[in-house]
Parts: sequence; structure tokens; C-alpha cells
Amino acid sequence: MAHGHEHEVVIKEEKFVMTAKDKRVATILMGGGLLLALIGIFTNHSEHEMLMKRIWANLLADGYFFFIISVCATAFIAIKAIANAGWHTSIKRIPEAMGTFLPFAAAVLIIVLIGGGSEVYHWMHHGITDPASPNYDKVIAGKSWYLNKGFFWGRLIVFFSVWILITRNFRKWSLQEDIEGGLSFFDKTYKTAAFFTFFFAFTFSMFSWDIMMSIDTHWFSTIFSIYNFATGWVSAITIMALTAIQLKKRGYLSIVNEDVIHDLGKMMFAFSIFWTYMWVAQMLLIWYANLPEEVTYYLDRTKNGWGFHFYLNIALNFLIPFFGLMARTGKRNTWWLSFVGCIILFGHWNDVYLMTFAGAMKDHHGISHAPGWGLMEFGFLAMFAGGFIYVLLTSLSKANLYPTKHPYIMESALHDVGV
Amino acid sequence: MSMKNNNHKLILGIYDDPDKVLAATRKVRKAGFDIKDVYTPFPIHGIDKAMGIQRSRLGIAAFMFAMTGLLTAVVMMVYMSWGDDWAINIGGKPNLHIPTYIPVTFELSILFTAFGMVATFFIVSKMAHGKNPTLMDIRQTDDRIVIAVNLHSDSDNKAISDIFVNHGALEVRERESSI
Repeated sequence: MAHGHEHEVVIKEEKFVMTAKDKRVATILMGGGLLLALIGIFTNHSEHEMLMKRIWANLLADGYFFFIISVCATAFIAIKAIANAGWHTSIKRIPEAMGTFLPFAAAVLIIVLIGGGSEVYHWMHHGITDPASPNYDKVIAGKSWYLNKGFFWGRLIVFFSVWILITRNFRKWSLQEDIEGGLSFFDKTYKTAAFFTFFFAFTFSMFSWDIMMSIDTHWFSTIFSIYNFATGWVSAITIMALTAIQLKKRGYLSIVNEDVIHDLGKMMFAFSIFWTYMWVAQMLLIWYANLPEEVTYYLDRTKNGWGFHFYLNIALNFLIPFFGLMARTGKRNTWWLSFVGCIILFGHWNDVYLMTFAGAMKDHHGISHAPGWGLMEFGFLAMFAGGFIYVLLTSLSKANLYPTKHPYIMESALHDVGV
Repeated sequence: MSMKNNNHKLILGIYDDPDKVLAATRKVRKAGFDIKDVYTPFPIHGIDKAMGIQRSRLGIAAFMFAMTGLLTAVVMMVYMSWGDDWAINIGGKPNLHIPTYIPVTFELSILFTAFGMVATFFIVSKMAHGKNPTLMDIRQTDDRIVIAVNLHSDSDNKAISDIFVNHGALEVRERESSI
């Protein structure tokens, strides 16, 4: 508030201009990433089946990672709305713009499920529920009331449609509010957010079982969905912070004071711990109980070369954010916050990579060997990151950078976290 | 209580509006007077910066308590599982093993931090059970906000009083205090 009171805050319409350089960087990331991935694919000498699995697993991991980030951006708007929070109003356009990537990520997931479903998902294998087939699997057959293609596609289409529709509406109402003002859009967002939060809690859980947990079809974990939510949520908040910092560096978003960035940093810190709590809770109980049907999941993820990614998770997603962002100075220094933010993002990508690949890369003995990170992994990651950045910046440039007529915009501009 | 000789004089400005309090506090501080504290029944945003108070060191204390708890937990567990004196076979798990240590370490760190911070808060605020609270004005627990300024021998009482009144104080008075 030292800033707020000493010089007046001016609420004015501010437009972000996506420069030719921005477009070039995003396009190079996309094109170069695809090129790298293709080089990786054509120089790969493993057998055809494993190569196909690896390609589909790549698309699935990246598609899922950016999907949960986009949908968590919408969840961020919804949760802030029902909590009647005001501090984030000045950066609200960033999660709104992140949500516009949702249809693209959904399209990628649908393509992967159609094209590579039977490569990646054990339960989609031909004849798996047919007692006459050599592929018959009694355990999976018992789960087929839930894991069958009709129900699977039906619920997925419903989830995608509702999430995308609500994401679009949040943004549409917010943009309309800039023109018309008044409280009607605020109220509409509030009511829809209440429904969304309730709906999202259930549907995101099922979504994470369907897309991620069902890769290891025999295995199950009741904490899996909240753990996956934590992954998406902390990554989404990190991207918000990184974007806000970058925009401020370019002279935009002067209304966003360092206290708002500080609070985003606090959330990155707090939800890194939250993620760790969930991750440890899942691992610890399974390790202790040592039940064969549960423990295989972790054996698959610590042996045969996967151990590196497993322990990297702890370092990148817990130790570095925990000690790096613990002090106030760590959260208020934008350079350091961006640096730790990049580590958090890479760490959670590594987490999703491990979740997907160790299950999806199983050979016919049911064992997966870590292929290691190659051109394919980094190429596809760059491609998705480029696409995400392109969509994010385009959407940001299409509207005011912060909502000018939101009832809480002044509260956000004067946000103060104390000494 | 043998604090009698510590008694000193204060001047109080009593308000009913947080915005007026913020403005008055800034002004008093700018004029170079020694603000003792602002007593308010509810939190006022920005009052810490207006008063120019230093950042609390409670966070550092919390970290120390957490480390004490962590160390206590680890030392306790390692001591208990060292050798085979108290070895208990639980699920065939090894006796000295990191995953089993996580919950206890986590819980003791938090327990020590929580208790330590509460204790620190009580000590720093000089609060104790059965002790009579020293209030600047009884209404500070209800709907009034009190700005207290220390009076020194060279303080210009009139100037402070004028600032208080100009910023809408309902009442200005002097009192003695031992805190």
C-alpha cells in the first residue's frame, strides 16, 4: 500500500502487442520441436512396436500436461470467484488466456486416444475382456463396467464439453464486462464458478483415472486424482507468475504490484509442498503395505532405469521449491522466482513423463525399460510449449491486459501483504 | 509488578475510522514523533507500513523451531533403531530406513513450530495467564482505534495533538503507562 497511496493508481485500458519476434519464437519452438522429434523418430533403432508406443506416450504425456495446466487455470478462476477473492484480479486475464489452450489440448488427447489408445492402454487391447481370447485378462474384465470404450468416450466428451464451455464463458463474460461494466457478469461468474468447482472435483478425478491411471490398468490408487490435480494446479500457478513477470518486464501490467507476484510465489511454494504431501502419501502407504497388486507401480518406476526420474521428482518438485522459495526475498526477487518456476515446470513435466512412460512402454513381458530422454521427448515438449505460448500470447493480445471494470480491480491494485 | 519506575507518559488519539487512523499515523510518523503502537479491534491493511515497523522475525524463529523438531525426530528415531535393542519388525521393513522416518519427522517439525511460535508470541507480547491486560483505552476492544505516541521530555505535545485533531480524532488525551 506504500505504492498505492503515495501515487494514485490509474485504471486504464492496456493492450498487449504480440510482436513479430514473439510469433517467431513460438513458431520456431513448434516447428523446431517437431523437426527434432522427427529426427529422433527416424534415427531410432528400437523395434517398431516400442517406437510407436514411445511416440504415442510422448503425445499423451505432453497433451495431458498442458491439458491439466489449462483446465487448472479455469479452476483457479472458479475457486477465486467463489471465495470472493480480489487480489488476483489484475492478473486474471492470464488464467483466462491459458484456458483458451484447452480445446487444442483436448484435440491432442482425442487424437492420441483414437490413434494410440490400444498401444498405450492395456485395457484397450483387443480381446482383453473376451474369455475365449488368448489376451483375456480376468482383472481387467472385472473392471470393464467402467473401463469400456462406450462409457469412456461418453464421459470424456461430456467432461471436455462442459469444461471448455465454462472456460469460454468465464473469458467471454470477463471481456464483456470491460465494455458494459456492472455487476451482472461478476454474479454470473460467481454462480457458474460454484457449479464448476463442484463438477470439476468429481470429473477431474475420473478424468485422471481415465487418462493416466488406466495406463497401469491393474493398479489403482485412491489419492491419485488429488495428486494429479496438485501437479496441474502448481504448474498453472507457476505459468501465471512467469507470464505476469515477463509482461511486467516489458512494461505492461504496471497495475500489478510486487505484492501480487509475492502471493503467486507463496502459492507456488505452498502447492509444491501440497504436491509433495500427496506424492509421499501415495508412495508411503503402498511401500508400507507392500501388496503385490499395488507395489508393482513403484517397482516399474524405480527399476530398469526409471529411478533417475523418480528421484529427480523429489529434487525438482520438492527440495528446490521448498528451500528456494521459503524466504520472503526468494519470492520477491522476480529473477529468482522465474528461475525456480522453470525448475518447477520441468519437474512436473518429469513427473507426468514418469507416470505415462513407465506404464505405456511395457514390452510383451510386461516390463518397461527407461528409454531415457532423447530428441523425441525434448522435441515434442518444445512443440507443445511453443503451441501453448502462441495461443497464450495471442489470447492475451486480443483483450485488455487486465479487467478494467471488475469490481475488485482496485483492491487488486492496492493489494498489500504487509511488511 | 515492579514496573512502576518504568512508567512513562503517552498521548493517545482515539478514532472510529481506519482510514483516518492510517492518515494520522503517516502524518505523526512523518513529523518524527515516536509512535508506540496502534491498538485496533480489527486488522487495518497497511498500518504496519504506515507505522514503519520492522519486519517480524517470527518467521526466522519458526524455521529454528522446525529444525529443532526435525533434529529431535531424526535423533530419536536413529537412537531407537540403532542396533537391535528395540528392533520391532513391522511388515518386514528394515530398521533404519528413510521412508519410515518421513511422517514422524514431518509431524515433529510441525509440532515444534506450532508450539514454539505460540510460546514466542506470548513471550514477545508479554501475555500470561492471570495477568491483568494493560489497555490504552477500554474501547479499543470494541469499536475504537487508539494511536499511542510516546512522550519524551522534548516532545511537542501540542503538535501531536493538532495532528490527531486535524485527522478527525474523537478524543485526545494523555496518560501514564507501564507498558
